[in-house]
Amino acid sequence: MRYYFSLQGKMLHRRFVEFGVQPLVGYALVVLVFIGLSLYLFNKIDFAAYLYVFFGLSSISALSERRRNEFLETSFSKKKYLATRTVENMLMALPFAVFLLYKIQLLLAALLLLAAMLMAVIRWRNSFVLSIPTPFYKRPFEFAVGFRKTLLLFLLALFVLFQAIAVDNFNLGAFSLALVFLICMSFYSEPENLYYVWIFAQKPHAFLFEKIRTALLYTTILSFPILAILIAFYPENMWILMVIQCLGYLYLSAIILAKYSAYPQPMSVPQGLLLGASFALPPLLIVTIPFFYKKSTEQLKGILG
Amino acid sequence: MINIEQLSKSFGTNKVLEDVNISFEKGKVYGIVGENGAGKTTLFRCIAGLESHTGHVSCDYDILKNHLGFLPTEPFFFQRMTGREYLQLLCIARHEKGQDFDVKNIFDLPLDQYAANYSTGMKKKLALLGILLQTNDYYILDEPFNGVDIQSNILITEIIIKLKSLGKIVIISSHIFSTLSDTCDEIHLLKNHRFEKKVLKEEFERLAKEMKDVTIGDKIERLGF
Repeated sequence: MRYYFSLQGKMLHRRFVEFGVQPLVGYALVVLVFIGLSLYLFNKIDFAAYLYVFFGLSSISALSERRRNEFLETSFSKKKYLATRTVENMLMALPFAVFLLYKIQLLLAALLLLAAMLMAVIRWRNSFVLSIPTPFYKRPFEFAVGFRKTLLLFLLALFVLFQAIAVDNFNLGAFSLALVFLICMSFYSEPENLYYVWIFAQKPHAFLFEKIRTALLYTTILSFPILAILIAFYPENMWILMVIQCLGYLYLSAIILAKYSAYPQPMSVPQGLLLGASFALPPLLIVTIPFFYKKSTEQLKGILG
Repeated sequence: MINIEQLSKSFGTNKVLEDVNISFEKGKVYGIVGENGAGKTTLFRCIAGLESHTGHVSCDYDILKNHLGFLPTEPFFFQRMTGREYLQLLCIARHEKGQDFDVKNIFDLPLDQYAANYSTGMKKKLALLGILLQTNDYYILDEPFNGVDIQSNILITEIIIKLKSLGKIVIISSHIFSTLSDTCDEIHLLKNHRFEKKVLKEEFERLAKEMKDVTIGDKIERLGF
């Protein structure tokens, strides 16, 4: 078991190196970002503690992937397998639990740790015979795949929306709209297998245009019901909602272009920082979108011809 | 025609291909053989433009890859993408519209299930079906018979023969000699980073025997059975 965890450590170390970050700096950054986002969540949202438990459980569930667990189960004895899975689930849950304790949410922290232990024992069956239908069949793959992966998060966004209306909290409703955009942006966070770009008989600019067009169209399908409900309940705040919607479109376009500006490699740290700065300071998008577009066409030229 | 001139490829200091020269003509099926690690897949990826290389690859079109159907050894499928969505993606990538996937599902694949959950053979058949629906002019099939059931093997052999009759160029690698002898016009042996031998159909039997003798040698005796 000790070797397994030291191997996991080495693999994480390598990921930082591949990303172009000194591992120590990387660990420090991860901790800082985690604390920063946690503080932000608790400051801005009324039901942050519940959301926080949800995010914690989502992170732990990533370790429950079927093939990964089958490999561990065949490699270790039953006792060692259960011990390994329990330890890694607890390690994943620990930062969330510690922060919940800091926020004096003792019961939720205890429940999260208990769920983490139980999730080590439960075997997930994800070989569904039937697939979840989506309205995104015409232009695969990002939304068809991403929607299925994050279905629970979309349900969460709807739950937040209904809570917002129930307690008459516009900010919470606006957050649910922003959450839909955040989820859609996550579909473009990782570079896809090279084959899935290579197959396209398109020039880089046409390829990028089509990717952005599809993303905007499908995000509209997902966000429009929330937008319409919010406008119906808060017509006086319509302009704020329109700003969120427009910014969402711009951020989405920026993240697609940023992804392909480094493709087939993952985004580098400077590119990530530039994108982050544009998100924090939207007027920067006037510069970063053309910049990422230019870089993307250069990167894709070698692949698409 | 696909023309390859002085193609070389190295990964760091590891030389894989050196000064490869070969021409592939329309309406012919070419078999590429070589030991594991001989560079067959690397050569295919270089032709497809998936690997950078030195030397020159040209064809009847400006951009070869836009007319090439490439079946990789291990096709990659996203988790939670259905077979139907995969076919749709491959078709829109090449501007092929209005295909009836249910009619053209010649391998009887469960198209509405997630492709990542398919068996090895089903994945191969889905990937092959995808490039066939694209109606390409050139085909590179890296181990098309690998993991596929006997019935589908027969069907794939017939598909290759049909592609040849349609004037397509088909390049295949396979570790099963009989599948190559059934379909190929020429077999090229990749060894020591380049093509060492070209064998025509009438000499296939001799090549098979030669490869068997060289490969087996005294290896079975060395096991001490």
